[in-house]
Amino acid sequence: MSSKKSGSKLSLQTRRKLQPYFYIAPVMILLLLMFGYPLIKSIIMSFQDYKLSRLDKVSWNNFKNYAAMFSDKNFGLLLKNSLLYVISAVLAQFLLGLGLALTLNGKFKGRGIYQSIVFLPWAFSAFVVGLLFRWSFNGEYGVVNDVLKKLGLIDTGISWLGTPGLSLLVVIFAMIWIGIPFFGINILAALQSVPSDIYEAADMDGCGTIRKFFTLTLPYIKPTIIMTILLRTIWIFNSFDLVVIITEGGPANYSQTLPSYMYTQAFASYDFGLAGAFGVLLMVILTLYALIFLRITKYDKAGDF
Amino acid sequence: MNRKTKRRVTGVIRFIVLAFYFLLVVLPIYWMIVTSFKTNAEIINAQLITYWPHTFTLDNYKGLFSTIHYGTYLKNSLIVTLSTSVVVTILSIYGGYGLARFSFKGKGAAMVFFLITQMIPSILVIIPLYVVFAKMKLIDTYASLFIFYTVTNLPFCAITMRSFFERIPYALEEAAAIDGCSRAQTLWKVVLPVMFSGIVAVFVFAFIGAWNELIAGTIFLNSQKMWTIPIGLKSLVGKYNVDWGSMMAGGCLALLPTAIMFIFVQKYIVEGMTAGAVKG
Repeated sequence: MSSKKSGSKLSLQTRRKLQPYFYIAPVMILLLLMFGYPLIKSIIMSFQDYKLSRLDKVSWNNFKNYAAMFSDKNFGLLLKNSLLYVISAVLAQFLLGLGLALTLNGKFKGRGIYQSIVFLPWAFSAFVVGLLFRWSFNGEYGVVNDVLKKLGLIDTGISWLGTPGLSLLVVIFAMIWIGIPFFGINILAALQSVPSDIYEAADMDGCGTIRKFFTLTLPYIKPTIIMTILLRTIWIFNSFDLVVIITEGGPANYSQTLPSYMYTQAFASYDFGLAGAFGVLLMVILTLYALIFLRITKYDKAGDF
Repeated sequence: MNRKTKRRVTGVIRFIVLAFYFLLVVLPIYWMIVTSFKTNAEIINAQLITYWPHTFTLDNYKGLFSTIHYGTYLKNSLIVTLSTSVVVTILSIYGGYGLARFSFKGKGAAMVFFLITQMIPSILVIIPLYVVFAKMKLIDTYASLFIFYTVTNLPFCAITMRSFFERIPYALEEAAAIDGCSRAQTLWKVVLPVMFSGIVAVFVFAFIGAWNELIAGTIFLNSQKMWTIPIGLKSLVGKYNVDWGSMMAGGCLALLPTAIMFIFVQKYIVEGMTAGAVKG
Protein backbone atom coordinates (compact mmCIF):
# COMPACT_ATOMS: atom_id res chain seq x y z
CA MET A 1 0.00 0.00 0.00
CA SER A 2 0.94 3.65 -0.27
CA SER A 3 2.57 3.71 3.17
CA LYS A 4 5.58 2.03 1.58
CA LYS A 5 6.44 5.28 -0.21
CA SER A 6 8.19 6.69 2.83
CA GLY A 7 10.09 9.21 0.73
CA SER A 8 7.03 11.38 0.46
CA LYS A 9 7.09 14.53 2.58
CA LEU A 10 3.43 14.35 3.53
CA SER A 11 2.41 11.97 6.23
CA LEU A 12 0.10 9.16 5.29
CA GLN A 13 -2.69 10.71 7.29
CA THR A 14 -2.44 14.09 5.55
CA ARG A 15 -2.33 12.39 2.19
CA ARG A 16 -5.44 10.40 3.06
CA LYS A 17 -7.20 13.61 4.02
CA LEU A 18 -6.16 15.41 0.86
CA GLN A 19 -6.87 12.53 -1.48
CA PRO A 20 -10.54 13.35 -2.18
CA TYR A 21 -9.61 16.90 -3.15
CA PHE A 22 -7.20 15.65 -5.80
CA TYR A 23 -10.09 13.88 -7.48
CA ILE A 24 -12.63 16.67 -7.35
CA ALA A 25 -10.25 19.64 -7.71
CA PRO A 26 -10.16 19.74 -11.55
CA VAL A 27 -13.94 19.79 -11.79
CA MET A 28 -14.52 22.18 -8.91
CA ILE A 29 -11.86 24.70 -9.96
CA LEU A 30 -13.16 24.74 -13.51
CA LEU A 31 -16.77 25.17 -12.43
CA LEU A 32 -16.01 27.77 -9.76
CA LEU A 33 -14.09 29.84 -12.31
CA MET A 34 -16.43 29.46 -15.23
CA PHE A 35 -19.73 29.71 -13.37
CA GLY A 36 -18.56 31.75 -10.38
CA TYR A 37 -17.12 34.61 -12.40
CA PRO A 38 -20.13 35.04 -14.73
CA LEU A 39 -22.48 34.70 -11.76
CA ILE A 40 -20.80 37.46 -9.76
CA LYS A 41 -20.29 39.55 -12.88
CA SER A 42 -23.97 39.39 -13.83
CA ILE A 43 -25.12 40.27 -10.34
CA ILE A 44 -22.84 43.31 -10.53
CA MET A 45 -24.09 44.13 -14.03
CA SER A 46 -27.66 44.05 -12.81
CA PHE A 47 -26.89 47.12 -10.66
CA GLN A 48 -25.13 48.93 -13.48
CA ASP A 49 -25.88 50.86 -16.61
CA TYR A 50 -24.20 48.22 -18.77
CA LYS A 51 -24.75 48.46 -22.49
CA LEU A 52 -22.49 46.63 -24.91
CA SER A 53 -22.61 49.64 -27.24
CA ARG A 54 -21.25 51.89 -24.48
CA LEU A 55 -18.82 49.74 -22.54
CA ASP A 56 -16.69 52.81 -21.76
CA LYS A 57 -19.61 54.39 -19.91
CA VAL A 58 -20.48 51.63 -17.47
CA SER A 59 -21.75 53.17 -14.23
CA TRP A 60 -23.71 52.18 -11.13
CA ASN A 61 -27.40 52.90 -11.32
CA ASN A 62 -28.55 51.24 -8.12
CA PHE A 63 -31.92 49.58 -8.62
CA LYS A 64 -32.82 51.23 -11.93
CA ASN A 65 -32.67 47.93 -13.85
CA TYR A 66 -34.87 46.21 -11.29
CA ALA A 67 -37.31 49.11 -11.34
CA ALA A 68 -37.43 48.92 -15.14
CA MET A 69 -38.01 45.17 -14.99
CA PHE A 70 -40.86 45.25 -12.48
CA SER A 71 -42.55 48.22 -14.12
CA ASP A 72 -42.37 46.63 -17.57
CA LYS A 73 -45.97 46.48 -18.83
CA ASN A 74 -45.42 42.85 -19.86
CA PHE A 75 -44.09 41.72 -16.51
CA GLY A 76 -47.31 40.19 -15.21
CA LEU A 77 -47.93 38.37 -18.48
CA LEU A 78 -44.34 37.06 -18.56
CA LEU A 79 -44.57 35.71 -15.05
CA LYS A 80 -47.93 34.07 -15.74
CA ASN A 81 -46.66 32.51 -18.99
CA SER A 82 -43.48 31.25 -17.32
CA LEU A 83 -45.39 29.55 -14.53
CA LEU A 84 -47.96 28.07 -16.88
CA TYR A 85 -45.18 26.83 -19.17
CA VAL A 86 -43.03 25.24 -16.50
CA ILE A 87 -45.83 23.70 -14.42
CA SER A 88 -47.75 22.14 -17.30
CA ALA A 89 -44.63 20.93 -19.10
CA VAL A 90 -43.06 19.34 -16.00
CA LEU A 91 -46.31 17.75 -14.88
CA ALA A 92 -47.11 16.28 -18.30
CA GLN A 93 -43.54 15.06 -18.84
CA PHE A 94 -43.51 13.41 -15.45
CA LEU A 95 -46.84 11.62 -15.88
CA LEU A 96 -46.15 10.55 -19.46
CA GLY A 97 -42.57 9.57 -18.57
CA LEU A 98 -43.78 7.52 -15.63
CA GLY A 99 -46.35 5.79 -17.84
CA LEU A 100 -43.69 5.03 -20.42
CA ALA A 101 -41.28 3.66 -17.83
CA LEU A 102 -43.94 1.42 -16.28
CA THR A 103 -44.82 0.05 -19.72
CA LEU A 104 -41.19 -0.58 -20.60
CA ASN A 105 -40.50 -2.29 -17.30
CA GLY A 106 -42.29 -5.45 -18.47
CA LYS A 107 -41.03 -7.95 -21.00
CA PHE A 108 -42.43 -7.98 -24.52
CA LYS A 109 -41.31 -8.83 -28.00
CA GLY A 110 -39.21 -6.14 -29.69
CA ARG A 111 -38.69 -4.20 -26.48
CA GLY A 112 -35.12 -3.25 -27.39
CA ILE A 113 -36.05 -1.61 -30.69
CA TYR A 114 -39.18 -0.07 -29.22
CA GLN A 115 -37.20 1.49 -26.38
CA SER A 116 -34.64 2.96 -28.80
CA ILE A 117 -37.41 4.66 -30.74
CA VAL A 118 -39.49 6.09 -27.91
CA PHE A 119 -36.42 7.53 -26.18
CA LEU A 120 -35.22 9.23 -29.37
CA PRO A 121 -36.48 12.77 -28.64
CA TRP A 122 -33.83 13.01 -25.93
CA ALA A 123 -31.17 13.08 -28.64
CA PHE A 124 -32.92 15.82 -30.61
CA SER A 125 -32.00 19.47 -30.60
CA ALA A 126 -34.55 21.96 -29.33
CA PHE A 127 -33.85 23.99 -32.43
CA VAL A 128 -34.87 21.26 -34.88
CA VAL A 129 -37.82 20.15 -32.73
CA GLY A 130 -38.94 23.77 -32.50
CA LEU A 131 -38.85 24.12 -36.28
CA LEU A 132 -40.70 20.86 -36.73
CA PHE A 133 -43.51 21.95 -34.39
CA ARG A 134 -43.66 25.38 -35.98
CA TRP A 135 -44.06 23.71 -39.36
CA SER A 136 -46.60 21.13 -38.19
CA PHE A 137 -48.76 23.76 -36.47
CA ASN A 138 -48.54 26.17 -39.42
CA GLY A 139 -51.99 27.72 -39.91
CA GLU A 140 -52.02 27.33 -43.69
CA TYR A 141 -49.92 24.33 -44.63
CA GLY A 142 -49.72 22.64 -41.26
CA VAL A 143 -50.41 18.95 -40.93
CA VAL A 144 -52.11 19.33 -37.52
CA ASN A 145 -54.97 21.41 -38.92
CA ASP A 146 -55.33 18.98 -41.83
CA VAL A 147 -55.59 15.99 -39.52
CA LEU A 148 -58.11 17.75 -37.26
CA LYS A 149 -60.20 18.67 -40.32
CA LYS A 150 -60.12 15.10 -41.63
CA LEU A 151 -61.23 13.83 -38.24
CA GLY A 152 -64.13 16.31 -38.39
CA LEU A 153 -63.03 18.11 -35.23
CA ILE A 154 -62.67 21.50 -36.91
CA ASP A 155 -64.10 23.08 -40.08
CA THR A 156 -61.57 25.81 -40.73
CA GLY A 157 -57.89 25.83 -39.95
CA ILE A 158 -56.80 27.20 -36.59
CA SER A 159 -54.12 29.88 -36.53
CA TRP A 160 -52.20 28.13 -33.78
CA LEU A 161 -49.19 30.42 -33.73
CA GLY A 162 -51.17 33.61 -34.25
CA THR A 163 -53.71 33.18 -31.47
CA PRO A 164 -53.00 34.33 -27.89
CA GLY A 165 -53.08 31.30 -25.61
CA LEU A 166 -52.68 28.75 -28.40
CA SER A 167 -49.17 29.83 -29.39
CA LEU A 168 -47.86 29.13 -25.88
CA LEU A 169 -49.69 25.81 -25.98
CA VAL A 170 -47.67 24.75 -29.06
CA VAL A 171 -44.45 25.64 -27.24
CA ILE A 172 -45.62 23.57 -24.26
CA PHE A 173 -46.44 20.62 -26.55
CA ALA A 174 -42.96 20.75 -28.05
CA MET A 175 -41.35 20.93 -24.61
CA ILE A 176 -43.40 17.97 -23.37
CA TRP A 177 -42.50 15.94 -26.46
CA ILE A 178 -38.79 16.52 -26.13
CA GLY A 179 -38.72 15.89 -22.36
CA ILE A 180 -40.67 12.65 -21.87
CA PRO A 181 -37.60 10.41 -22.45
CA PHE A 182 -35.57 12.07 -19.70
CA PHE A 183 -38.22 11.12 -17.15
CA GLY A 184 -38.79 7.77 -18.88
CA ILE A 185 -35.14 6.69 -18.77
CA ASN A 186 -34.55 7.84 -15.20
CA ILE A 187 -37.69 6.23 -13.84
CA LEU A 188 -37.15 3.04 -15.84
CA ALA A 189 -33.66 2.68 -14.39
CA ALA A 190 -35.08 3.23 -10.90
CA LEU A 191 -37.81 0.65 -11.53
CA GLN A 192 -35.26 -1.89 -12.64
CA SER A 193 -33.34 -1.34 -9.42
CA VAL A 194 -36.32 -2.37 -7.31
CA PRO A 195 -35.46 -5.81 -5.90
CA SER A 196 -38.03 -8.31 -7.16
CA ASP A 197 -38.27 -10.16 -3.84
CA ILE A 198 -40.18 -7.30 -2.22
CA TYR A 199 -43.05 -8.07 -4.57
CA GLU A 200 -43.09 -11.76 -3.71
CA ALA A 201 -44.19 -11.11 -0.13
CA ALA A 202 -46.84 -8.70 -1.38
CA ASP A 203 -48.08 -11.28 -3.87
CA MET A 204 -48.45 -13.81 -1.08
CA ASP A 205 -50.46 -11.30 0.92
CA GLY A 206 -52.71 -10.89 -2.11
CA CYS A 207 -51.86 -7.23 -2.86
CA GLY A 208 -53.41 -5.81 -6.04
CA THR A 209 -51.33 -4.22 -8.79
CA ILE A 210 -52.35 -0.68 -7.93
CA ARG A 211 -51.76 -1.12 -4.23
CA LYS A 212 -48.38 -2.70 -4.93
CA PHE A 213 -47.44 0.33 -7.02
CA PHE A 214 -48.33 2.86 -4.31
CA THR A 215 -47.01 0.97 -1.29
CA LEU A 216 -43.91 -0.72 -2.73
CA THR A 217 -42.79 0.72 -6.05
CA LEU A 218 -43.44 4.40 -5.47
CA PRO A 219 -41.47 4.74 -2.21
CA TYR A 220 -38.57 2.94 -3.86
CA ILE A 221 -38.39 5.23 -6.90
CA LYS A 222 -39.31 8.41 -5.01
CA PRO A 223 -35.72 9.76 -4.74
CA THR A 224 -35.32 9.43 -8.52
CA ILE A 225 -38.63 11.17 -9.14
CA ILE A 226 -37.77 14.03 -6.79
CA MET A 227 -34.35 14.63 -8.34
CA THR A 228 -35.68 14.40 -11.88
CA ILE A 229 -38.53 16.81 -11.22
CA LEU A 230 -36.16 19.24 -9.51
CA LEU A 231 -33.66 19.24 -12.37
CA ARG A 232 -36.26 19.32 -15.12
CA THR A 233 -38.10 22.23 -13.48
CA ILE A 234 -34.90 24.24 -13.29
CA TRP A 235 -33.95 23.47 -16.90
CA ILE A 236 -37.39 24.13 -18.33
CA PHE A 237 -37.91 27.32 -16.34
CA ASN A 238 -34.66 28.76 -17.73
CA SER A 239 -35.10 27.45 -21.29
CA PHE A 240 -36.10 29.87 -23.96
CA ASP A 241 -34.98 28.29 -27.24
CA LEU A 242 -38.35 26.71 -28.07
CA VAL A 243 -40.18 30.00 -27.52
CA VAL A 244 -37.71 31.91 -29.67
CA ILE A 245 -37.82 29.32 -32.47
CA ILE A 246 -41.55 28.52 -32.55
CA THR A 247 -43.29 31.82 -31.83
CA GLU A 248 -40.63 34.47 -31.18
CA GLY A 249 -42.83 35.27 -28.20
CA GLY A 250 -45.77 36.19 -30.41
CA PRO A 251 -48.40 37.15 -30.97
CA ALA A 252 -47.65 40.35 -29.04
CA ASN A 253 -45.70 38.64 -26.22
CA TYR A 254 -48.55 36.22 -25.49
CA SER A 255 -46.15 33.27 -25.55
CA GLN A 256 -43.18 35.17 -24.12
CA THR A 257 -41.64 33.83 -20.91
CA LEU A 258 -39.23 35.58 -18.54
CA PRO A 259 -36.06 33.98 -19.98
CA SER A 260 -37.12 34.38 -23.62
CA TYR A 261 -37.97 38.03 -22.97
CA MET A 262 -34.62 38.46 -21.26
CA TYR A 263 -32.84 36.95 -24.26
CA THR A 264 -34.75 39.12 -26.73
CA GLN A 265 -34.14 42.27 -24.70
CA ALA A 266 -30.47 41.49 -24.15
CA PHE A 267 -29.74 41.12 -27.84
CA ALA A 268 -32.21 43.66 -29.20
CA SER A 269 -30.87 46.56 -27.14
CA TYR A 270 -27.60 45.05 -25.82
CA ASP A 271 -28.76 46.25 -22.41
CA PHE A 272 -26.96 43.67 -20.31
CA GLY A 273 -27.76 45.47 -17.06
CA LEU A 274 -31.45 44.81 -17.57
CA ALA A 275 -30.72 41.24 -18.70
CA GLY A 276 -28.71 40.80 -15.49
CA ALA A 277 -31.69 41.94 -13.41
CA PHE A 278 -33.94 39.42 -15.15
CA GLY A 279 -31.33 36.73 -14.60
CA VAL A 280 -31.04 37.48 -10.89
CA LEU A 281 -34.84 37.31 -10.62
CA LEU A 282 -34.86 33.90 -12.34
CA MET A 283 -32.21 32.58 -9.96
CA VAL A 284 -34.04 33.92 -6.89
CA ILE A 285 -37.27 32.24 -8.03
CA LEU A 286 -35.45 28.94 -8.69
CA THR A 287 -33.60 29.03 -5.36
CA LEU A 288 -36.85 29.59 -3.49
CA TYR A 289 -38.45 26.81 -5.50
CA ALA A 290 -35.61 24.38 -4.76
CA LEU A 291 -35.64 25.16 -1.03
CA ILE A 292 -39.41 24.75 -0.74
CA PHE A 293 -39.51 21.67 -2.97
CA LEU A 294 -36.74 19.89 -1.07
CA ARG A 295 -38.35 20.81 2.23
CA ILE A 296 -41.83 19.51 1.42
CA THR A 297 -40.45 16.33 -0.12
CA LYS A 298 -38.29 15.98 3.03
CA TYR A 299 -35.33 15.45 0.76
CA ASP A 300 -33.17 18.15 2.29
CA LYS A 301 -32.49 16.01 5.34
CA ALA A 302 -31.13 13.19 3.22
CA GLY A 303 -28.03 15.37 2.79
CA ASP A 304 -27.89 14.46 -0.86
CA PHE A 305 -29.67 17.60 -1.86
CA MET B 1 -63.07 -12.43 -14.76
CA ASN B 2 -61.03 -15.56 -15.03
CA ARG B 3 -57.28 -15.49 -15.36
CA LYS B 4 -57.17 -15.91 -19.11
CA THR B 5 -59.47 -13.01 -19.96
CA LYS B 6 -57.71 -10.87 -17.39
CA ARG B 7 -54.40 -11.54 -19.09
CA ARG B 8 -55.91 -10.77 -22.48
CA VAL B 9 -57.32 -7.44 -21.25
CA THR B 10 -53.94 -6.48 -19.81
CA GLY B 11 -52.35 -7.40 -23.13
CA VAL B 12 -54.74 -5.18 -25.09
CA ILE B 13 -54.22 -2.24 -22.74
CA ARG B 14 -50.47 -2.64 -22.97
CA PHE B 15 -50.68 -2.70 -26.76
CA ILE B 16 -52.74 0.51 -26.80
CA VAL B 17 -50.29 2.25 -24.47
CA LEU B 18 -47.30 1.08 -26.50
CA ALA B 19 -48.95 2.25 -29.72
CA PHE B 20 -49.72 5.64 -28.16
CA TYR B 21 -46.08 6.35 -27.23
CA PHE B 22 -44.83 4.96 -30.52
CA LEU B 23 -47.08 7.21 -32.60
CA LEU B 24 -46.39 10.19 -30.35
CA VAL B 25 -42.68 9.94 -31.13
CA VAL B 26 -42.78 8.66 -34.69
CA LEU B 27 -45.45 10.86 -36.29
CA PRO B 28 -43.56 14.19 -35.93
CA ILE B 29 -40.36 12.51 -37.15
CA TYR B 30 -42.25 10.98 -40.06
CA TRP B 31 -43.61 14.38 -40.99
CA MET B 32 -40.13 15.90 -40.97
CA ILE B 33 -38.71 13.15 -43.20
CA VAL B 34 -41.64 13.22 -45.64
CA THR B 35 -41.51 17.01 -45.95
CA SER B 36 -37.79 16.88 -46.68
CA PHE B 37 -38.39 14.77 -49.81
CA LYS B 38 -41.16 16.98 -51.26
CA THR B 39 -40.85 19.70 -53.87
CA ASN B 40 -41.44 23.24 -52.71
CA ALA B 41 -44.62 23.49 -54.81
CA GLU B 42 -46.04 20.48 -53.03
CA ILE B 43 -45.04 21.74 -49.60
CA ILE B 44 -46.82 25.08 -49.95
CA ASN B 45 -49.97 23.75 -51.55
CA ALA B 46 -52.55 24.63 -48.89
CA GLN B 47 -55.35 22.93 -50.86
CA LEU B 48 -53.82 19.50 -50.77
CA ILE B 49 -51.61 18.35 -47.96
CA THR B 50 -49.92 15.13 -49.01
CA TYR B 51 -48.91 12.41 -46.58
CA TRP B 52 -46.44 10.87 -49.01
CA PRO B 53 -44.41 12.87 -51.59
CA HIS B 54 -46.23 13.01 -54.96
CA THR B 55 -43.00 13.88 -56.65
CA PHE B 56 -40.07 12.51 -54.74
CA THR B 57 -37.09 14.87 -54.82
CA LEU B 58 -33.60 15.06 -53.37
CA ASP B 59 -33.28 18.76 -54.22
CA ASN B 60 -33.63 19.87 -50.60
CA TYR B 61 -30.64 17.74 -49.64
CA LYS B 62 -28.58 18.72 -52.68
CA GLY B 63 -29.34 22.36 -51.91
CA LEU B 64 -27.92 21.99 -48.42
CA PHE B 65 -24.54 20.90 -49.71
CA SER B 66 -24.35 23.50 -52.49
CA THR B 67 -25.88 26.68 -51.00
CA ILE B 68 -24.94 26.26 -47.35
CA HIS B 69 -21.66 24.55 -46.57
CA TYR B 70 -23.10 21.58 -44.77
CA GLY B 71 -19.87 19.58 -45.01
CA THR B 72 -17.90 22.32 -43.29
CA TYR B 73 -20.51 22.63 -40.52
CA LEU B 74 -20.42 18.89 -40.02
CA LYS B 75 -16.64 18.97 -39.61
CA ASN B 76 -16.82 21.89 -37.16
CA SER B 77 -19.57 20.22 -35.15
CA LEU B 78 -17.57 16.99 -34.93
CA ILE B 79 -14.38 18.73 -33.79
CA VAL B 80 -16.10 20.77 -31.08
CA THR B 81 -18.44 18.01 -29.92
CA LEU B 82 -15.92 15.15 -29.79
CA SER B 83 -13.30 17.17 -27.93
CA THR B 84 -15.95 18.36 -25.48
CA SER B 85 -17.33 14.91 -24.79
CA VAL B 86 -13.92 13.30 -24.28
CA VAL B 87 -12.80 15.96 -21.82
CA VAL B 88 -16.15 16.05 -19.99
CA THR B 89 -16.07 12.27 -19.62
CA ILE B 90 -12.55 12.21 -18.18
CA LEU B 91 -13.22 15.08 -15.78
CA SER B 92 -16.52 13.48 -14.74
CA ILE B 93 -14.77 10.19 -13.95
CA TYR B 94 -12.40 11.91 -11.52
CA GLY B 95 -14.97 14.27 -10.04
CA GLY B 96 -17.67 11.62 -9.83
CA TYR B 97 -15.29 9.13 -8.20
CA GLY B 98 -14.17 11.70 -5.65
CA LEU B 99 -17.74 12.57 -4.74
CA ALA B 100 -18.90 8.97 -4.59
CA ARG B 101 -16.08 7.31 -2.68
CA PHE B 102 -14.92 9.84 -0.11
CA SER B 103 -16.55 11.83 2.61
CA PHE B 104 -14.76 15.11 3.14
CA LYS B 105 -15.23 18.64 4.38
CA GLY B 106 -17.15 20.76 1.91
CA LYS B 107 -18.81 17.88 0.12
CA GLY B 108 -22.28 19.17 0.93
CA ALA B 109 -21.31 22.63 -0.28
CA ALA B 110 -19.93 21.12 -3.48
CA MET B 111 -23.23 19.36 -4.14
CA VAL B 112 -25.19 22.56 -3.55
CA PHE B 113 -22.85 24.38 -5.90
CA PHE B 114 -23.56 21.81 -8.62
CA LEU B 115 -27.26 22.51 -8.18
CA ILE B 116 -26.68 26.28 -8.34
CA THR B 117 -24.79 25.95 -11.64
CA GLN B 118 -27.97 24.49 -13.12
CA MET B 119 -29.98 27.52 -12.01
CA ILE B 120 -27.82 30.14 -13.73
CA PRO B 121 -29.51 31.18 -16.98
CA SER B 122 -27.18 30.38 -19.89
CA ILE B 123 -27.32 33.95 -21.16
CA LEU B 124 -25.78 35.14 -17.89
CA VAL B 125 -22.84 32.82 -18.48
CA ILE B 126 -22.52 33.70 -22.14
CA ILE B 127 -22.45 37.51 -21.82
CA PRO B 128 -19.55 37.83 -19.34
CA LEU B 129 -17.65 35.02 -21.11
CA TYR B 130 -18.04 36.86 -24.40
CA VAL B 131 -16.23 39.86 -22.95
CA VAL B 132 -13.47 37.63 -21.51
CA PHE B 133 -13.13 35.60 -24.72
CA ALA B 134 -12.93 38.81 -26.76
CA LYS B 135 -10.01 39.99 -24.61
CA MET B 136 -8.30 36.61 -24.97
CA LYS B 137 -8.89 36.61 -28.74
CA LEU B 138 -10.92 33.43 -28.46
CA ILE B 139 -14.00 34.67 -30.30
CA ASP B 140 -14.55 32.77 -33.53
CA THR B 141 -12.39 29.82 -32.46
CA TYR B 142 -13.22 26.20 -31.68
CA ALA B 143 -11.77 26.83 -28.22
CA SER B 144 -14.56 29.23 -27.24
CA LEU B 145 -17.26 26.65 -27.85
CA PHE B 146 -15.13 23.81 -26.47
CA ILE B 147 -14.66 25.70 -23.17
CA PHE B 148 -18.31 26.74 -22.94
CA TYR B 149 -19.72 23.30 -23.77
CA THR B 150 -17.30 21.53 -21.43
CA VAL B 151 -18.25 23.77 -18.54
CA THR B 152 -22.01 23.70 -19.14
CA ASN B 153 -22.20 19.92 -19.57
CA LEU B 154 -19.82 19.07 -16.74
CA PRO B 155 -22.08 19.50 -13.67
CA PHE B 156 -24.80 17.11 -14.83
CA CYS B 157 -22.29 14.59 -16.19
CA ALA B 158 -20.16 14.62 -13.02
CA ILE B 159 -23.21 14.14 -10.79
CA THR B 160 -24.49 11.34 -13.02
CA MET B 161 -21.07 9.67 -13.00
CA ARG B 162 -21.05 9.92 -9.21
CA SER B 163 -24.33 8.02 -8.99
CA PHE B 164 -22.94 5.37 -11.35
CA PHE B 165 -19.93 4.90 -9.05
CA GLU B 166 -22.20 4.64 -6.04
CA ARG B 167 -23.92 1.68 -7.63
CA ILE B 168 -20.73 -0.33 -7.81
CA PRO B 169 -20.05 -2.41 -4.74
CA TYR B 170 -17.19 -1.06 -2.68
CA ALA B 171 -16.03 -4.59 -1.98
CA LEU B 172 -14.57 -4.64 -5.48
CA GLU B 173 -12.14 -1.88 -4.60
CA GLU B 174 -11.31 -3.29 -1.19
CA ALA B 175 -10.27 -6.52 -2.82
CA ALA B 176 -8.02 -4.61 -5.21
CA ALA B 177 -6.53 -2.61 -2.35
CA ILE B 178 -5.69 -5.80 -0.50
CA ASP B 179 -3.97 -7.02 -3.64
CA GLY B 180 -1.74 -3.95 -3.41
CA CYS B 181 -3.32 -1.66 -5.98
CA SER B 182 -3.15 2.07 -5.34
CA ARG B 183 -6.35 4.06 -5.47
CA ALA B 184 -5.64 5.42 -8.97
CA GLN B 185 -4.72 1.93 -10.21
CA THR B 186 -7.92 0.56 -8.72
CA LEU B 187 -9.96 3.24 -10.45
CA TRP B 188 -8.50 2.59 -13.89
CA LYS B 189 -8.00 -1.16 -13.78
CA VAL B 190 -10.82 -2.42 -11.59
CA VAL B 191 -13.64 0.10 -11.39
CA LEU B 192 -13.75 1.62 -14.87
CA PRO B 193 -14.02 -1.67 -16.79
CA VAL B 194 -17.23 -2.57 -14.92
CA MET B 195 -18.42 1.01 -15.42
CA PHE B 196 -18.44 0.74 -19.20
CA SER B 197 -22.14 1.45 -19.62
CA GLY B 198 -21.99 4.44 -17.30
CA ILE B 199 -19.03 5.92 -19.16
CA VAL B 200 -20.78 5.48 -22.49
CA ALA B 201 -23.86 7.16 -21.05
CA VAL B 202 -21.96 10.20 -19.80
CA PHE B 203 -20.07 10.51 -23.09
CA VAL B 204 -23.38 10.50 -24.94
CA PHE B 205 -24.94 13.10 -22.60
CA ALA B 206 -22.05 15.46 -23.27
CA PHE B 207 -22.12 14.69 -27.00
CA ILE B 208 -25.83 15.42 -27.32
CA GLY B 209 -25.55 18.56 -25.22
CA ALA B 210 -22.72 20.00 -27.30
CA TRP B 211 -23.99 18.80 -30.68
CA ASN B 212 -27.39 20.45 -30.31
CA GLU B 213 -26.38 23.76 -28.74
CA LEU B 214 -27.28 26.83 -30.75
CA ILE B 215 -27.34 30.08 -28.75
CA ALA B 216 -23.72 30.20 -27.55
CA GLY B 217 -22.62 29.15 -31.04
CA THR B 218 -24.37 32.10 -32.65
CA ILE B 219 -22.75 34.47 -30.16
CA PHE B 220 -19.19 33.10 -30.00
CA LEU B 221 -18.74 32.38 -33.71
CA ASN B 222 -18.86 35.03 -36.41
CA SER B 223 -17.38 33.65 -39.59
CA GLN B 224 -19.33 31.14 -41.60
CA LYS B 225 -16.42 28.74 -41.96
CA MET B 226 -16.47 28.16 -38.19
CA TRP B 227 -20.20 27.51 -37.87
CA THR B 228 -21.57 24.32 -36.42
CA ILE B 229 -24.63 22.54 -37.85
CA PRO B 230 -27.29 24.28 -35.70
CA ILE B 231 -25.93 27.72 -36.60
CA GLY B 232 -25.81 26.80 -40.28
CA LEU B 233 -29.41 25.64 -40.11
CA LYS B 234 -30.47 28.77 -38.29
CA SER B 235 -29.05 30.84 -41.13
CA LEU B 236 -31.68 29.20 -43.35
CA VAL B 237 -34.43 30.72 -41.25
CA GLY B 238 -33.34 34.23 -42.04
CA LYS B 239 -31.97 33.62 -45.50
CA TYR B 240 -34.99 32.10 -47.18
CA ASN B 241 -37.55 33.19 -44.63
CA VAL B 242 -39.50 29.90 -44.64
CA ASP B 243 -37.91 27.32 -46.90
CA TRP B 244 -39.49 24.39 -45.12
CA GLY B 245 -38.13 21.73 -47.47
CA SER B 246 -34.51 22.72 -46.86
CA MET B 247 -35.11 23.16 -43.16
CA MET B 248 -36.66 19.75 -42.72
CA ALA B 249 -33.85 18.18 -44.78
CA GLY B 250 -31.31 20.05 -42.67
CA GLY B 251 -33.11 18.93 -39.54
CA CYS B 252 -32.95 15.30 -40.64
CA LEU B 253 -29.23 15.55 -41.33
CA ALA B 254 -28.62 17.31 -38.01
CA LEU B 255 -30.49 14.67 -36.03
CA LEU B 256 -29.10 11.65 -37.87
CA PRO B 257 -25.74 11.31 -36.05
CA THR B 258 -27.16 11.69 -32.55
CA ALA B 259 -30.20 9.55 -33.39
CA ILE B 260 -28.06 6.65 -34.66
CA MET B 261 -25.73 6.91 -31.70
CA PHE B 262 -28.62 7.07 -29.27
CA ILE B 263 -30.35 4.02 -30.73
CA PHE B 264 -27.23 1.98 -30.05
CA VAL B 265 -26.36 3.31 -26.62
CA GLN B 266 -29.70 3.98 -24.90
CA LYS B 267 -29.63 0.54 -23.30
CA TYR B 268 -26.25 1.36 -21.73
CA ILE B 269 -27.76 4.52 -20.30
CA VAL B 270 -30.56 2.61 -18.59
CA GLU B 271 -28.11 -0.11 -17.58
CA GLY B 272 -25.62 2.38 -16.14
CA MET B 273 -28.34 4.06 -14.11
CA THR B 274 -29.72 0.84 -12.75
CA ALA B 275 -28.49 -0.06 -9.29
CA GLY B 276 -27.28 -3.63 -8.98
CA ALA B 277 -26.76 -3.95 -12.71
CA VAL B 278 -23.08 -4.45 -12.10
CA LYS B 279 -22.35 -7.65 -10.32
CA GLY B 280 -19.36 -7.17 -8.06
